[in-house]
Amino acid sequence: MNQEPPIGIRRTLVRRIPCWIAAALMAAVSGHAAAASLDLGRLFDVGKDLRTAAAGMDEKDEIAVGREVAGRTLGAAPLVADPQLQAYVNRVGRWIAMQTERPDLPWHFGVLDTSSVNAFAAPGGYVLITRGLYEMLDSEAQLAGVLGHEIGHIVQRHHVKVMQQSAVVSAGARAAQRSDRGLLVNNLIGTGAEVFARGLDKNAEFEADRIGVVLAARAGYSPYGLVEVLHKLGARASDDASLTLLFKTHPAPGERLTQLGDALAPRVAALPTGKEPAIRQVDPSTPPPAAAKPASVEGARAVQQEEGGTTIPSGGGPGRGIDAGGILRGIFGR
Amino acid sequence: MISMEHALPALRMMLAAVVLAAAPAAAQQVTLERDSPLYAEPRLDASQVTQLKQGATGEVIGKQGAWLNLNTPGGSGWLFSFNVRFPSQHAGSGDAGTGSVAGRLFGPRRNVSVTSTIGIRGIEEEDLKQASFNADQMKLLDGYAATRQAAERSARATGLAPVSVEYMDAKK
Repeated sequence: MNQEPPIGIRRTLVRRIPCWIAAALMAAVSGHAAAASLDLGRLFDVGKDLRTAAAGMDEKDEIAVGREVAGRTLGAAPLVADPQLQAYVNRVGRWIAMQTERPDLPWHFGVLDTSSVNAFAAPGGYVLITRGLYEMLDSEAQLAGVLGHEIGHIVQRHHVKVMQQSAVVSAGARAAQRSDRGLLVNNLIGTGAEVFARGLDKNAEFEADRIGVVLAARAGYSPYGLVEVLHKLGARASDDASLTLLFKTHPAPGERLTQLGDALAPRVAALPTGKEPAIRQVDPSTPPPAAAKPASVEGARAVQQEEGGTTIPSGGGPGRGIDAGGILRGIFGR
Repeated sequence: MISMEHALPALRMMLAAVVLAAAPAAAQQVTLERDSPLYAEPRLDASQVTQLKQGATGEVIGKQGAWLNLNTPGGSGWLFSFNVRFPSQHAGSGDAGTGSVAGRLFGPRRNVSVTSTIGIRGIEEEDLKQASFNADQMKLLDGYAATRQAAERSARATGLAPVSVEYMDAKK
């Protein structure tokens, strides 16, 4: 994890891959984002072609991709400036993650300082919940349900499975990529982005709901925190701007409640009552989140110029940057 | 200290019950999403008070686990909470937590400002697509990570203990 890719590889990457990786690497060269280059280097060093890289994507690869996605999300909205809150959410989240088959992933949890109502999971153990959603929660059991849903996506490797399917479909592109590692990595992630942009099967969301209920119960909480959150979300008007992204990308809360209720009904008598501890509030002295900056057209242009107009021959992947909005799969986003 | 923490949820439940009892009946209406039996007790094998039709309404007077205690024209009883929907509320009209029926029922919030009701623009799809890696924030995120030991210590202090629960399948 702590190895920088050789500088030669880095230069190759900057020449051959699209803007988001280039941007990350340029930042790395300037000393601000060493972590980003480490992870890309890790993917790079695995010595696999596209199909084996995706199909056999191991845990380290998964973490590398997830870390890149999480870091980009933090570029869209920073963490709430309340260290005690962040530490608290990490303790709660880690406790829930410990009840899974993957207790020792590098689990990270964060509360994003945005008024949007959403939560995200990125591969390898990265879970982000927005302040807008966090402040709707009334108990630690509800928080546990939300985090449990996200943890469920990661434990089940939902995003990785999609990348694998995608890679099988585009296996014909392997030959070209075998000789070009930059192209390989680009297509591995780019192909995944294409699939993520299409959206995943709703069943992955329903499955994560069922897992969220079970994990909350395993951790000693009331199993019904997530159910309460879904009721709350269902009661939010569909024209509520803070839920735009959520309602655009996810099954409706009512549909999720129906699915979850059907699965849960036979088990309801056997489920433990669990606890509903109070939830830690955001420090009242923390100012409300700043409005998100409009997406910067200038920034995008500058990155394109840095690329020097080099285009990637399409090898089966879309040849475009990773779609963080798509790759992130949240409680309310596929 | 620990006993206080234990007492808090119970206290909040009681407060919720008081709030619910005091609130005007119209604010607690829920609508049935599907035909459902109303049970005498919060159990699927309890005796049925009545069978409610989809679209029927009821007044929420309490909750317990997966169940809502309802007053309906056909009688009072317990309904599987998955089978009702709460009326849609505009968050901008007040605190999203306390302003909606669902908010009141699932825990009245203390005096906190709910930033999602302020109406400022949050992150959207485009922001995510165009964002670049923020190494400084990533460093912060790394620093907040909890060890297993710290997580367990904190959970035990809250009175939480692991329970064995099997994963659930989707309804076949």
